Amino acid sequence: MLNINNLHVAVDGREILKGIDLRVKAGEVHAIMGPNGSGKSTLANVIAGREGYDVTAGNIQFLEQDLLELDPEERACSGLFLAFQYPVEIPGVNNLYFLKAALNAIRKYRGEPELDAMEFWELVTERMRRVKMDESFLKRPVNEGFSGGEKKRNEVLQMSVLEPAFAVLDETDSGLDIDALKVVAEGVNALRGPERGFLVITHYQRLLDYIVPDVVHVLVDGRIVRSGGKELAMELEEQGYALYSGGESGHSRRANA
Amino acid sequence: MAELAVVDDRHYQRQLQALCAERAEPAFLSALREAGMARFEQLGLPTRRQESWRFTDMSGFAAIAFERASPAPIAADQIPAPFETDPATQGPRLVFINGRFNAALSRQIELPAGVLIDSLAQAQSEHGALLEQYLGRSPELTGNTFSALNDALFEDGALIYIPRGKQLEQPIELVFWSAPQSGAAPVAVYPRNLILLEAGAQATVVESYHGASAGDTAEAGACFCCPQTECALAQDAVLHYHKLQQEGQVTYHLGALRLQLAANSQADLHLLSASGKLNRTDIHARLDGPGADCSIDGLTLLQDGELGDYHLCVEHAQPLGNSRQSFKSVLDGKSRAVFDGLIKVVKDAQKTDASQTCRNLLLSKRAVANANPRLEILADDVKCAHGSTVGYLDPDALFYLRARGINEAEARAMLVYSFANEQIERIKLAPLRERLERLLHTRFYPEGKSS
Repeated sequence: MLNINNLHVAVDGREILKGIDLRVKAGEVHAIMGPNGSGKSTLANVIAGREGYDVTAGNIQFLEQDLLELDPEERACSGLFLAFQYPVEIPGVNNLYFLKAALNAIRKYRGEPELDAMEFWELVTERMRRVKMDESFLKRPVNEGFSGGEKKRNEVLQMSVLEPAFAVLDETDSGLDIDALKVVAEGVNALRGPERGFLVITHYQRLLDYIVPDVVHVLVDGRIVRSGGKELAMELEEQGYALYSGGESGHSRRANA
Repeated sequence: MAELAVVDDRHYQRQLQALCAERAEPAFLSALREAGMARFEQLGLPTRRQESWRFTDMSGFAAIAFERASPAPIAADQIPAPFETDPATQGPRLVFINGRFNAALSRQIELPAGVLIDSLAQAQSEHGALLEQYLGRSPELTGNTFSALNDALFEDGALIYIPRGKQLEQPIELVFWSAPQSGAAPVAVYPRNLILLEAGAQATVVESYHGASAGDTAEAGACFCCPQTECALAQDAVLHYHKLQQEGQVTYHLGALRLQLAANSQADLHLLSASGKLNRTDIHARLDGPGADCSIDGLTLLQDGELGDYHLCVEHAQPLGNSRQSFKSVLDGKSRAVFDGLIKVVKDAQKTDASQTCRNLLLSKRAVANANPRLEILADDVKCAHGSTVGYLDPDALFYLRARGINEAEARAMLVYSFANEQIERIKLAPLRERLERLLHTRFYPEGKSS
């Protein structure tokens, strides 16, 4: 479903990702764990199409398409979703209008009829119950004045409404208390299925207690240094990243400085 | 910079002579005109050497010989339809074509006893005493050339008088349509409105300026609109006031707005300028009784080659007053927005609560915004806040919308629309608000896209 081949990415001339290879099949949940500054968010942003990143080598195939050739909106319309680490506040645009515009843009792209106000209302309120959000959120401007937890829930709500083929969750657990974490995980688990893939990016193992991954990758200094089953997350929790952050990767960082 | 001379020094003086020759006016009017002309001649046409015109280049204006407009034949369908479509709630409507009242295009309704809504020219004969008492008596715009010029040359406009305790439910619509006739010289109009609310009276007024340009270039079709509106609110009066500028592309609109607010009176002003080569309105609001409340929302939409300018002074002359000003501009192409806002709190105006913001959204690298919020506070127990911002669309917000599938053009439109619409949202008059929302939508959304 998502194939990343030898991906090298630089920001302002500095190489952040140094040859990532990753294959996520439909129905799988992959987790990427790594210390701060290892390139986790860069990977998420490059997949979603944010400006400011130079792909210096490699490619990303998504559902038979060359992902890097697509605009962010084309990626979204093709079924890609990024749950933002820092959801953006958009004053003046209300949540309901935004969600409806997004869903209808995607439906239109796929040649499906747009939903009218009533149909959309039924869909969105049903999905809101899933993430335990109050209807009053729909009338508020997108993310404006939302608490950290509300913003993350709003990301999961958007994902539930847009039903992407593939979702990237960029540190969706950061800043959440345990109750909010469970709600977010339930929202994600409700979408798990044989036709859908996930890439869950996190610093901590905690989220993976609730969203149990099929494969765990360890990203250190722009490279995947180890991959394994869900037990790898437990191991990292106990031992930390120290094992990986010295030696070879340290040398390469100095070499690039 | 070379100084461009007005066509000649006596140009506007001759207009006054012609006007006076046509009319036999009472002494107080002649005195107002003469004092206005004297001030105008003393001030001269503004140049960028004057502080309050530093960013507003009037050299193009000064080179055009605007002539007093004559009444023009105009078809009813050229005038914008009333924003209120339900006849049951339609209010009175006064239409002025090239500065003259047009009864055929206007609409009268049955008014509560004592309420006066009439053209100023007609009111002169029947209500001369009222005009003598109030005209030219509201807080002055000292040093403002165009307020002085309007004093000298105004011909017509509206008189609105609401007696004590009376409330007019329906909105009062004042429509000013101005344009030169095809091939004719550039025209000047000098509308003058007087809005008087006695103690406890309430009214809603929508003053709108429209017109067409004969040609889109050079001076052909140029129009100079120089309106002045005075509002006097007695104790506990409530005024909802709206001013809309949607004039032709070659219009120079140089307006004045003067308000006097007595104790516990409330005024909310909503100002929209959506087109015109040069739009400037100078405002002086004086909170002249304890507990007066004045809020002003301004929205300026500018396209390539346009300039929008608000200069305002909100003067807290008595204690316990509240004032809030919120101005926004959206600038496209090579355009400029100028804002100069002064909050003045006199020594005795304790417990004043005043705030002022000015936000500018630049859609083009060639657009420029000059914002100058100022405070002048002599009292020591007050709450005053002000601030201004100038910036481009937030790239993070744009990416966020695009990452959800919304294409770039629509994402931009959504952000610009919502920025502007925050000003429109506060208009309580629903049919007007909806009309302006449609205006914003047409302006900012890609063609054929509905919300």
